[in-house]
Parts: sequence; C-alpha cells; structure tokens
Amino acid sequence: MSDFKFKIPKHLEVPMGAVIPAPVKENPGMITGNWRTERPVIDHEACTLCLNCFIFCPDACWHLDEKTEKMMWNARYCKGCMICVNECPADCLTPQNELDFPKGVVRLDKPF
Amino acid sequence: MAEVKQVTIWARGVTQDMEGRHLSLLVANSADKDGKFVQAWDDYADLPDRVGVPLRKYARISEEEIEMRYEYENKQPNVVIVMDDTIIKGMDILHGMPKGGVLVVNSKRSADDLLKFIPNKELLSSITVVDASGIAADVAVDFMGSEGGVEVAAVGKGISAPLAGAASKATGLLKLESVVAVAANKEGVKQGAEAAKVKKL
Repeated sequence: MSDFKFKIPKHLEVPMGAVIPAPVKENPGMITGNWRTERPVIDHEACTLCLNCFIFCPDACWHLDEKTEKMMWNARYCKGCMICVNECPADCLTPQNELDFPKGVVRLDKPF
Repeated sequence: MAEVKQVTIWARGVTQDMEGRHLSLLVANSADKDGKFVQAWDDYADLPDRVGVPLRKYARISEEEIEMRYEYENKQPNVVIVMDDTIIKGMDILHGMPKGGVLVVNSKRSADDLLKFIPNKELLSSITVVDASGIAADVAVDFMGSEGGVEVAAVGKGISAPLAGAASKATGLLKLESVVAVAANKEGVKQGAEAAKVKKL
C-alpha cells in the first residue's frame, strides 16, 4: 500500500492547507490614515526614547529608527487616537490639525 | 426622466453621524416642502461606523418622480457637503462628480487653503466655506442613533443647521425659508447662510 497514489487531476493538485501571504509590516488593504483629524507631532529634542508611544499605539505606527535613534511615525495607518500624546511621560508629543501639513495625503476612493 | 440632483454628505463616524444624517434629512425635507420629489438615506457600506471614519450620507432632489429606487449610492453627486474639513485630505470627495459641481465645506480656513488639497478641482463651479462648528459650538451634541427608523429628537439642532443654510445659498436647490421651516435651530440656519462665503471657480 505504500506506493498507493490518489488519482488527482493535475489542475486540482494544491498544497495542503491554504497559503496566505501575510503582510510583513504593512497591510495596504486596510489603510486608516484618513480617519485622522489631528496628528501627533514629535519634538525629538525632548524625546527620551522610553518607547511608551510604541507600546501603547494600537496600530503600531511608532517605531525606533536605530540608525538615527529617533522615533518614526507612520502617517498611512495613524488614526489620530492621540493615545501616544496621553501616554508620553516627557510631553514631547503635541496634537496638530491635519490640514497644517501639505504632506502625508492618504486619498482613497472608498472610506476603507 | 428629468435630471435628478444628487447630494452627497461626508461626515466623521460616530461624532458627526447623527448630524450628517440630519443634514441629509434637512436637504430632503426642505426640498419636499418646495413640492419636489426627494430621497434621503445613509450609506450602508460605511456601517458600522467607528470614531473618525469618513461616512457618506445621501440625498436626491428631482422635479419629477425619482426612478433610481434601487441604486443605493450617489454615483454622480452634483453637490458635495463636507462636515469636517480634514476629510478632503483623506478622501477623493469629488469622485464621479460631473463638471460644474458645488462643494460646501465646514471649515475655519479659507477656500484657497482648502483647494490646495483637492487635485480634481476643475470639476467644481464653486466652493463655499462656512464655519458651522463655530456657529453651533454652544449646542450640546448627543449621539442618538436612528435604530427605530424615525427621528425621535428634533432634526437639525447642531452643525447640520448652518451647513444646510450654506448649502441653500451655494446651490440654489433649496429655498432658505423652507430650510428654516424644517430645521430645529432656525437661528443657526440664517447665520450659516449669512456667514457662508461662496467662491466661483
């Protein structure tokens, strides 16, 4: 019985289980940057790199750039919930209206 | 079939959901008072709304009976009303608009400031800016839903009233007297129509 083989047509031969390519860092199918009315602006001088913003951000929009040793912010997914502003112990984050910035435009045809 | 004027309203989820719905109702009810045929409804695809999500609310106005009964989206809006100015940065609000459309924005900023964020502004014939949030700032806002399908509270208490007044000034589709008649905040409608700055393009 060991050399038994199912007779499966060639076009139905699929790998066991479903293979779904998971997004490594970003999911372009769920961009939420246009939910935002205000964005957190960081003062790099006052920042102590405590990583509280990285820990508390629900969308993982903050990460530490190890080369420059600065916290980097992702405009495409930040919903503007301002949790990072609340949690920052050094008070180096300030909310500022989105239309003050000409850059960081996330323009979609449908809301999400 | 006579031309159906399509009005699309963009609002922020949850915080402006009720006022956006009231604005579409104000547009439809005031045109209904003028003897026109109207429809007003929420966009099903945007539900359930989360805080800050851009929502669409729709209204249609026509001189004759509207036969677009089973089309649930305004594919070609003639009038677009934006209840929060930051939406123009995140959405293609003029999507599908035929040439010569009208845009009404609730903003403290100037029209030129806002036009910088609209890449397809050649579709517009005019842009109107009104600071509706400033006019209706002292009005208490509740987040009452419309689960029962009938508005329990009075329609047009908050920022929807000044925006409806501005829309009547910008479009000419609605008579200001009929908007005042259907809105709860009658003073707000008049102030909105006065404060609205129409800029022809």
